[in-house]
Amino acid sequence: MEQISSLVTQKLESMANAGDCHLIQSKHKAINALLPYAALQEHDGNPEILDAFLHAARASKMLEFGWNRTREYTGTLFSKASPHAIILTAPHMEWGFLMDRGDLVQQWAVATSAVLYTEEVAQSVVDTLLQIAFWDQLLPHIPANIWLWLTKRPSLPPTCGGHYYGTCLTVAKAVRELKDIEIIKSYFLFVWSEWDYLKYGVFNESCISIREDFSDACGGWHRTELLQHLDHILTQLDQGLEHLQQHNPNLRESHFQRMKVQYRELKDILLEAVTGMSYPIIFHCMLT
Amino acid sequence: MLYTSLASSLLSAFLAMLGKQWLNRYTSTDMRGTAIERSQNRQRKLDGIVVWYFYYVMESLPLMLQAALLLLGCALSRYLWGVNITVASVVIGITCFGVIFYLFIITAGTTFESCPYQTPVSHALRYLGPRAKGIPHSTASVMVSAALDVASGALGVASAFRDGFRGSKTMGVITVHVEWYRPQWSRREIIPFLKDMVLELPPALAIDVYHLGKVMIWSLYAFAVGVYHLSSTTAMLLVSRLHGLPPTLERGVDWQLAVLDLQCISWMLQTSLDKTVHLATLKHLAAMTELADFDPTLVNDCFNAFIGCINVSGHGIVVIQGLEELAAVSAQCFFSTVSHLLVMDPTSSVLEEVYQHYLKIFPFPTNFHGHQFYHTMNAVHYLYIKPQRYRLLYWNSYKPSTHEHTVFAQNLAKVAQFRYQKMERKIPCFLLRFALYSFSLDPPPSTSVIAHCLSIVATDLGCDVPDITFGNW
Repeated sequence: MEQISSLVTQKLESMANAGDCHLIQSKHKAINALLPYAALQEHDGNPEILDAFLHAARASKMLEFGWNRTREYTGTLFSKASPHAIILTAPHMEWGFLMDRGDLVQQWAVATSAVLYTEEVAQSVVDTLLQIAFWDQLLPHIPANIWLWLTKRPSLPPTCGGHYYGTCLTVAKAVRELKDIEIIKSYFLFVWSEWDYLKYGVFNESCISIREDFSDACGGWHRTELLQHLDHILTQLDQGLEHLQQHNPNLRESHFQRMKVQYRELKDILLEAVTGMSYPIIFHCMLT
Repeated sequence: MLYTSLASSLLSAFLAMLGKQWLNRYTSTDMRGTAIERSQNRQRKLDGIVVWYFYYVMESLPLMLQAALLLLGCALSRYLWGVNITVASVVIGITCFGVIFYLFIITAGTTFESCPYQTPVSHALRYLGPRAKGIPHSTASVMVSAALDVASGALGVASAFRDGFRGSKTMGVITVHVEWYRPQWSRREIIPFLKDMVLELPPALAIDVYHLGKVMIWSLYAFAVGVYHLSSTTAMLLVSRLHGLPPTLERGVDWQLAVLDLQCISWMLQTSLDKTVHLATLKHLAAMTELADFDPTLVNDCFNAFIGCINVSGHGIVVIQGLEELAAVSAQCFFSTVSHLLVMDPTSSVLEEVYQHYLKIFPFPTNFHGHQFYHTMNAVHYLYIKPQRYRLLYWNSYKPSTHEHTVFAQNLAKVAQFRYQKMERKIPCFLLRFALYSFSLDPPPSTSVIAHCLSIVATDLGCDVPDITFGNW
C-alpha cells in the first residue's frame, strides 16, 4: 500500500509542479476521491499525500476544486481529520451542497481555534469564511469572532472560491452588519482585487460603505489604506489583460473593462470623501 | 493378413479389458476427506483422463476391431479366390458392401452432426476439418524430420529381424535335420528325427533368443526414441494450432488447486439442478480470493444460476422466495468471473454470448434497486453493458462483508487497470465514487481494499500501476 500511496503522491506533485492546470482540472474527481484518505493519513502523521492534494488543488486554478460527490462524506471526514487538515481542506469543500450542515461550520470554527497560526492556515480560513458566508443557511452558524481572521489579511491566491463568493452582496452586507471598521476595511481589501470584478450589489454596497462607514474623521487612516490598495489595483490593470491572465486564466475582456470602470469610480468616491481631511491624505491624493 | 487380423482382434480385446479396469478405478469413489477434497480428487482424475487422451485410446478400440474385420474380409476373399471363385465373389461382395456402408456413414456423420451413425473417424474429421488448412504447412517440416527418425528405427527393427532369421541357430538345426532325415520319412521312420530335434533344438533356441533379445532391445530403443519424438512434437504442434494456447505454465500448488477448484465448480454448476448444491458451490467460488485460469463458460454458469433465482417483469425484478441468498451469491460470482474474463481474455466469445443473453433477459433498463445484489449487478452493468444503457449507481447503501469488499475492490481495480489503463480509456466515474466511498468508511476498510482503491485512483491519474492480476498485494 505504501508503494501505491507514494506513487500517487509523486504523481500529484509532478502534476502540480508541471503547472498544467487543464490536466489537473480533468483529473479533479480522482484527486478529490483521495481527500478522505489524505486527511486520515495526515492524522496518522503522514502529511505527504495531503500536501500533494493541496498543492494540486492550488495549481488547478479552479474556483471550485471540490467534487460534489464528496458532500456525502464530509461529515465523516470532519469527525476523523485533525483540525489542521480540516482547515486546509475546507476551502475545497462544496459548501453549496452542505447548506443543511450548520454543524460542519461549527466544527470548522472550532478547528480554527485549535490550529497554530501560519500564512497558509490564515489563507484557508479566510477563503472558507468568504465561501460559507455566501450561503444564507450557513451564515448564521459562523461565530462572530471568526470574522477577525479577515484582519490578519493573508494574501488570497488569484483564483479561489473566496474571491468569487466574497464579492457577492450577501457577504458584503453580513460584514457591514458587524459594524467593525477594521473588519469592513479588511473585507474590502480582500474583495477589491485585480482578479475579479465586483458584482453589482457589492459595488453599490462598497460605495455606500465608503460614504457611510469611512466618511467620519476616524476613517481617515482607513481611507488612506483603501486608496493605496485601489492605486495598486489600477496599476495592475494598466498592465493589460494578458498580464493578469497569466495568473488568472478565468479572467475575461468584459470583466477586465468592468473592473477598470468600477475601481476608478471607487477611487473617485474615496477622493470625494477626502475633502476636508488631513494634509497627508490630500497630499497623497494629489500625488496619485 | 489373417494373422494380423487375429492379432489386432486379440490386442483390442486385451485393451478393452484393461480399459474396463481403468474405468472401474476412475468411477471408484474415495470415501475419505471433505466434499471439496473428494471433488478435487475426482477432478484430478478427470484432468488425468483428458491430459492422457484416455478418450482417444478408448475410441481406438472399435477402430482396431473394424480394421481387423476389414483385414479378415480381404484375407478370406484372397484365400477363397484360390479355392472357389463363386464363394469368393460372395465374400468379396459382402466385404465391399461393408466398406461402402462404412464410408457412407463416415461421410454422413461428418456432414451432419445430428446423424445417429457417428464413428470416431467422422468425429475426428468434423473436428479437424475447419482447422486442417493451416496444419499441413506447419506440421510438414516437423513431421518429415520425426518420420525419418521413426523410419530409421523401424528399419533397424526390420533388419534386425531379417538378420536374426537369416543367422538363426534354430532354423539351421531344423534345416539340417530336415534335409538329413527326409529320405527316412518316406519309410515312416520319424523317431530318430524327433529324437535329434528334442536334443538339439532347445540349446539352439536359447542362443537365438539371447541374440534376438539383444538386437531387439537396441532396435526398439531406437524406434521408441523416434516414436516419442514424433508423438511429442506432433501433439505439441496440434495443441498449439488447434487451441492457440501455450503449454501450461508451471505454477505453485495453490494455483493448481485453484484451477482444480474452478473446474469442479464449473462441473457442479453444469451437472447439478439442486439449488442447495448451487449455493454451496457458488459460496466456495465467492470465497476464492484469486481466480486462476478457468473455463470461460463458468461466467455463463454463474449468470444462469443468477437468472434461475429471479423473475423479470418489465423494468423490475422479483427474487423467487427462498432463493435470495443464492441470487446474491451468484450475482457476486457472476461479477467476479465476468470482470476476471474482461481482463484476461477480453475477446472471449463467451463474453459476447453472455452479453446477448443478458440483453435478452433484461430487455429494458432493469432496476435492481432494493435487492441485495444491487451494487454487484449494477457494477456488471456499468463495466459490461453501459455503453448501450446508462444508469446511476449509488454506493451509500453498500454494506459488504470484509471479504466481499476485498474481492469487489480487487476486481474493480483489475478492470480499471487492464480495461481502462491499457486501452487508454477514461476511468468511469462510478469507480472513483467507489474509491471515495471506501476511503470514507468508518471504521476504515482493510488495507487491501484501500490499496485497490488507491490503484483505481492512480490508474485514472495516469500512474504506471504495478500488476495486480495475480495478487501481488
